[in-house]
Amino acid sequence: MRLLPYVYLAYMFLSLYFLMMFLMIYLRNMKKMFSYPETKKKYSVSFLVPAWNEQDTIENSIKDIENIDYEINEIIVINDKSSDKTPEILKRLAKNYPNLRIINNEKNLGKAESLNRGLKFAKSELIAVVDADSYPVADSIKKMVGFFDDEKVGVVTCPVLVRNRDKFIGKLQAIEYQIISFSRKLLDYVDAIYVTPGPLALYRKRALEDVGGFDKRNMTEDIEVTWNLAHNRWRRRMCLSTGVFSTAPEKFRGWFRQRIRWNIGGLQCIYKYRKSLFKEGIFGWFIIPLFILSTFLGLVGLAIFSYLLTRRTISNFLYTKYSIVANTSLIVLEDFYITPSILNYFGVILFIFGLILTLIMLSILKEKVFVRENLLNIPFFMLIYLSFYPIIMLISIGDMIVGKRTWR
Amino acid sequence: MLTSQKHVFWQALIVTVLLFGAGIFMGIILENWRVNRVDYLYRQSEILLLDLRAHGEIAGSTYIDCETSIAQNLVFADRVFSEAETLAKYEGAERLSGELELEHKKYDVLRALLWSRSIELRKKCKADFHNVVYIYDYDEPTLEIVAKQGVFSRILSELKEKRGGDIVLIPMAGDNNLSSVSLMMELYNVSEEELPVILIDEGVKITELQSSEEIEEFL
Repeated sequence: MRLLPYVYLAYMFLSLYFLMMFLMIYLRNMKKMFSYPETKKKYSVSFLVPAWNEQDTIENSIKDIENIDYEINEIIVINDKSSDKTPEILKRLAKNYPNLRIINNEKNLGKAESLNRGLKFAKSELIAVVDADSYPVADSIKKMVGFFDDEKVGVVTCPVLVRNRDKFIGKLQAIEYQIISFSRKLLDYVDAIYVTPGPLALYRKRALEDVGGFDKRNMTEDIEVTWNLAHNRWRRRMCLSTGVFSTAPEKFRGWFRQRIRWNIGGLQCIYKYRKSLFKEGIFGWFIIPLFILSTFLGLVGLAIFSYLLTRRTISNFLYTKYSIVANTSLIVLEDFYITPSILNYFGVILFIFGLILTLIMLSILKEKVFVRENLLNIPFFMLIYLSFYPIIMLISIGDMIVGKRTWR
Repeated sequence: MLTSQKHVFWQALIVTVLLFGAGIFMGIILENWRVNRVDYLYRQSEILLLDLRAHGEIAGSTYIDCETSIAQNLVFADRVFSEAETLAKYEGAERLSGELELEHKKYDVLRALLWSRSIELRKKCKADFHNVVYIYDYDEPTLEIVAKQGVFSRILSELKEKRGGDIVLIPMAGDNNLSSVSLMMELYNVSEEELPVILIDEGVKITELQSSEEIEEFL
C-alpha cells in the first residue's frame, strides 16, 4: 500500500508543526511564564462549589477555600440532592464559617444547572468555581485576580495538580496534567485557551451572564463555557504560578469513564459551534479546527493501526501455519536485522524531540510547583498512556451515537 | 501583546516546512545512496556476466572449458543470490523514491540470463549441478502468498546452505513484465497465476509447500 508512507509523513508534519509552535511560543515567553499581573483593585469574589455525594472530600475542600489568602465574599455550596453525608457535613461547617451558604436542590439537576442556580445567588464581581474534590492553593485567587484588570478577560484558570499520586495511574495523570497546564499557558499567549477546568476557574460574573451561564446539555460544562466565552470574544487567561490540587481517578475504569465524558463533551462542543468554523478569529480558525483535527487524526491513526495489526496477525498466523507444514524454522537470526527506513528515522527524531520538550516542561514546573516525577514514567506515558486516547475517542463517538450521555 | 504573538502560527509553519523539507531531502539522499549501492553491485555482476559470455565466445562454440565455466557460473549465481538479499532489505525500507523497483527489474533480467546460461552449461557439459529457480509474485501479492513466499524463501535458503555448490539457486520475480522472464516461464510451462513456483532442473515444478528434505529428494 503505497499510500501509507504519505499518511505517516502527513502525521509527522503535523506533529512537528505543533512541536515547533509550542517551542517557539515558549522561547519567546520563557522569562514571563510564571508572571502574573499585580493589581491594586479589590475584586469581590464568590465561590461556587457544586456537590453531589462528596462526603469524603467536601470538608477539606471548604476548609482550603476558607484558608485562601484573599478576602472571600461568600462560598456557595450547591448540594445536588446528595444521598450520603454531604448535607450533614455542610450544616456542621456552616456553623463555623459564616460566609458559607448552602443551596439544596430538591432534585438532582447535574453540575451545570447547579452552577447556574448558584450563579443567581452569587453577589460578587468574580465567581470562582471549584469542584468539591479539589483544593485551591492559598495564593491562587490573589495571583489570578490581576488578570481581570483587562476588561476583556472573562475567565482565568490555573494548573490542576494531582493530589493522589501514590498509584501508578495517579503518577501518569500527574505528568499529563502538568503537560496540559504548561501547554495551556503557551496557548494563552495566542489567546487559544479552550478549557478552564472544573477544579478551579475564576470567572467574571458579567461574562458568565453574557454567555448565558453553563450549558446543562453538555457533558463537560467547563469546556463548553470556555468555548462559549471564546465565541463571544471574552479572553481566557492562565496563571501558571499557582494551582489547585484535585483528586484524580485511582482506577483504570474511573479514568476511562472520565475520559469518555471529556471526549463526548468535546464532540458536543464541535457540533454546537460548527457554524463558527473558519470564522471568529482564533476560535474558528484554531480552536475548533484543532479539536476536529485531533479527533480525525486519532480515528484515522487508530484505523491504520488496526489495519496493520490485523494484517500482521493474519500474516504471522499464515506464516506459522506454512512453516509447520514445511517443517522449517519459524524465526532465524536475520529476522531481527532491521533496515531502517526514513520514516523510522523521522519517528525516532520526533519522539526524542517530544520527549525533550516534555522533560523541559516538567523540569520547569518541578521547580515552580514542587512536583517530582519518576523519569521512567515519562516514556511509558508517551508510548502507552497516550495510545489509549484514540480508543477512548472511538468509544466516545459510539456512545454519542447511541445516546449514552450520562456521566454519573 | 496577544495579537502580535499570533504570527507564531505561520512562523512555525515556515520552520516546519524547512525542517521537514530538510528531512525529506536527507531521506531522498539516504534512499539514493542505497539505490547507488545496489546499482554498483549490479554493474559489477553485469560485468561478470559479460565477461563469462565473452570468455565463451572467444573460446569458440566447439570448445568449452566446462570445469572453469561451471565454477564461474556458480560463483556468479552465489553473488547474484547474495545481492538479491541486499536488494530485498533495501526494498523493504524504501519509502520515497521507488527507484529500487527498477533495479529489481534489471536484476531479474540478469537472473534470466543466468538461468539460460545454467541450462546451456548443464546440456553441453553434462554438469551435475542443479538449477533451482524460484519464481515469485512481486507485484502486490496477497497476504497468503506473502506468507507462502516467506516460507519458500526460508526452505530454499536452508537448501542452499546445505547443498552449497551443488545447486544454482535463482530467485526471480515472475510478474515484472519482462519479456525474457516471460519467455523462460512460457518455455517451462509456468504461468503467473500459479506463482510462487520452484522449478528444479526445468522439469520438476513445485507449487505446494514441502519441507527442504522433500525438495532435496528431487535433486
